[in-house]
Amino acid sequence: MRAALTQPGWWRALFFTVIAGAFGFGLVIGLRAISGLDLFQTEQTGYPHIVVPAITAPLGFLVGIGCFDYWFRWASGAPTQPEDHSWHGATSWKDYFQVNTDHKVIGIQYIVTTFFFFFVGGLIAMMMRAELAQPGTQIVDPATFNGLFSTHAALMIFVFVIPVFAGIANYVLPLMIGAPDMAFPRLNALSFWMLPVAGVLFLCSYIVPGGAFDAGWTGYAPLSTGAPLGQSFFNLGVQFAGASSVATALNFLVTIITMRAPGMNFWRMPLLVWANLSTSLLVVAATPFIAGVQFMVLFDRLLHTNFFQAAYGGDVISYQHIFWFYSHPAVYIMMLPGFGIVSEVISTHSRKPIFGYRLMALALLGIVVLSYSVWAHHMFVAGMFSWLRVPMMITTLLIAVPTGIKIFSWLGTLFYGKIHLKSTSMLFALGFIVTFTIGGISGVMLGMIPLDIHVSDTYFIVAHIHFVLFGGSVFTIFAGIYHWFPKITGRMYDEKLGRIHFYLTLAGMLGTFVPMHWIGMEGMPRRVADYAAEFGGWNLEISIASFILGAAQLVFLYNMIVSWRFGPKAPSNPWRAKTIEWQVSSPPPIFNFDEIPRVVGGPYEYGVPGARHVIMPGESSELREPERSGVGAPT
Amino acid sequence: MESASVSVGHAEHEHHGPPEANQSSRIDRQTLGILLFIITEAMLFGAFFSSYFFIRVVANDGPWPPDGFELPVSVAFVNTLILVASSFTMHWALESIRAGNHRGLKLGLVSTLMLGTTFLFIQINEYIHIGFSARDGAFGSIFYGLTGLHGAHVYVGLTLLAIASVRAFRGHYGPDGKDHLGVEVPGIYWHFVDVMWVIVFTVVYVL
Repeated sequence: MRAALTQPGWWRALFFTVIAGAFGFGLVIGLRAISGLDLFQTEQTGYPHIVVPAITAPLGFLVGIGCFDYWFRWASGAPTQPEDHSWHGATSWKDYFQVNTDHKVIGIQYIVTTFFFFFVGGLIAMMMRAELAQPGTQIVDPATFNGLFSTHAALMIFVFVIPVFAGIANYVLPLMIGAPDMAFPRLNALSFWMLPVAGVLFLCSYIVPGGAFDAGWTGYAPLSTGAPLGQSFFNLGVQFAGASSVATALNFLVTIITMRAPGMNFWRMPLLVWANLSTSLLVVAATPFIAGVQFMVLFDRLLHTNFFQAAYGGDVISYQHIFWFYSHPAVYIMMLPGFGIVSEVISTHSRKPIFGYRLMALALLGIVVLSYSVWAHHMFVAGMFSWLRVPMMITTLLIAVPTGIKIFSWLGTLFYGKIHLKSTSMLFALGFIVTFTIGGISGVMLGMIPLDIHVSDTYFIVAHIHFVLFGGSVFTIFAGIYHWFPKITGRMYDEKLGRIHFYLTLAGMLGTFVPMHWIGMEGMPRRVADYAAEFGGWNLEISIASFILGAAQLVFLYNMIVSWRFGPKAPSNPWRAKTIEWQVSSPPPIFNFDEIPRVVGGPYEYGVPGARHVIMPGESSELREPERSGVGAPT
Repeated sequence: MESASVSVGHAEHEHHGPPEANQSSRIDRQTLGILLFIITEAMLFGAFFSSYFFIRVVANDGPWPPDGFELPVSVAFVNTLILVASSFTMHWALESIRAGNHRGLKLGLVSTLMLGTTFLFIQINEYIHIGFSARDGAFGSIFYGLTGLHGAHVYVGLTLLAIASVRAFRGHYGPDGKDHLGVEVPGIYWHFVDVMWVIVFTVVYVL
């Protein structure tokens, strides 16, 4: 027992969680006793004796599970062994439940955890659609419904879409650039372990007095500053998720900049690497804004500061400004890695070089720059400065240009390509181009001030965000998962089930979200449990389609689990791709490479005679095939 | 370092450890990491400065600071000088270890720690005597928000420097190559904390 409490692991994590939670509780009670206050402050926004332990207990968990052991040793000045790889690699499934510094293990931990939250968030969505199938309230009351849509969005955004991309990139990116691991493996482990903490905090809000947070994922003040206790759990969960994504982004940037294989200059990096470089720039510079603003909300709630209290000189609108300083760039944080995945998938499965490679990379950077200048288009009806509207409309429309460049380049890549329509990842990539373009076009519509005012807070917004986040991000996530499944698991998945999953998902997605445009135009408000009877017909159809969409994900789940366990062994390069991760075994060896490979050309030179991307260690630097270009040339 | 076994080639024995990563940039990982982290931190201050802007410029009509609030500018100015001085002692510590001078390193780190702690104590003392709390109007909130956020950074910086000091007194660090990064990286962070204070001081107390 003593060993269990001194060794990093779940027993020590449990022990430290309890200790740290008790410490936080005691701290609050003690300070209140000294100050002569009531021991328990239970007015609506208060509960410091619950909120403070909700901060300290997760920190105790992170210490207990072992994220900080090495750093504590280092800080104490004890001799450390930086090249100690005892926490590296996984030999059994149990190793995935431990702190591990191997980027491949962390990638799998990320992907599985985030998909767990994806299914939880999906179930919540199903409950909402069940309620909305008919006018009136049948299943949940309006207050519960508010909690449902808020937790649905918070889970999907903060602990599914953003981190799952980090997970995929965590696995693939170091292999792609020829690095043995990420730049800071221990920080990488800490980033991962903060993620379940965030998700659990979001879900814990269901069991506290007042119910789950219900001010939407945007948590606008003053709604959020006066909301029940659950809102504090949202504030805290966002801090953990944000810290996790900042740490990962920092890690990606350092890895990409300092650890590329010899010969891999910036113009030879695969577009997934470019995409994660751009995303990480956004995360590093934008995420602190949401951290800051959620701190302010927490202070207003707990310490009764006046950041957003207009009666005391605070500015309510400033919440929305600072929130969207982060959250508009965040929609690109949720999309750019998907652009990278789709570029890989489309080039590989249509056997053609990426059309306009450099422009693709520059378009990503263009989006990064522009995304900081469009935040206030979320606030056209918020009562902000009226002079800010038109500039924001113009920049919003401008951002369609780099995005359009990407769409056209993908189409240019497909043009005359040898398209593999049987490949599930390719199907998802193609589906993505269609659905994302529709979502992009409704985004341009929403950029227009008059139309935006007309459809503000209606289902048109819901339709738009789901076309770009489901039709956009989630489709690219599926494309990526299917594309790298053989590499990650060493097994092939069932393509037939994959295609069933795709077609059901596409049909369910269109059936669910297309009619939302129409009822939104006609004025059905979003975020309501009940609605006018005239919208009943379409809502029933939407609910049925959404259940198909939900059921389709069970096909995916079945396919993944069964294929991982029983699928046929995967060759190292089933898609005949050129990038480095496909040149090592499936799954890759524990330290990725025996020797760092040498990059000699671009990553997408499909069908270009004699072109090579990489020379692996032990491979001769001679061309693998004789030069085919010179037909008449002497051999 | 451990990549020696790699040169054996197709390994009759499995080598224990990854190959040494290729260094594809002139900047080393730790320095780049702390610089990026500083961007993040600067943006966190940006969030509070944005709030300051909205409260002072957009929501506030009267004089600034609002009637009834007064800031001890001269005390804060002396405090600023103390913190700026600590940047110089930090630089002295780093230059000492670059030249292999352990005594200079220890003295520099300890004096930086002491100056930083002094700054923090004067700041706390200022809070005690300032006569308003974070609950008193939006001015009180954003004053405590910005200076408190900075104080938290001073605390983090002091923690990092304390760790560096512990290691320095235990005989770590040397003049060559990467051996003094453990001093340099917290040093960069400390300079950032210092520069940030000059900005906070100028915006909150002077302007």
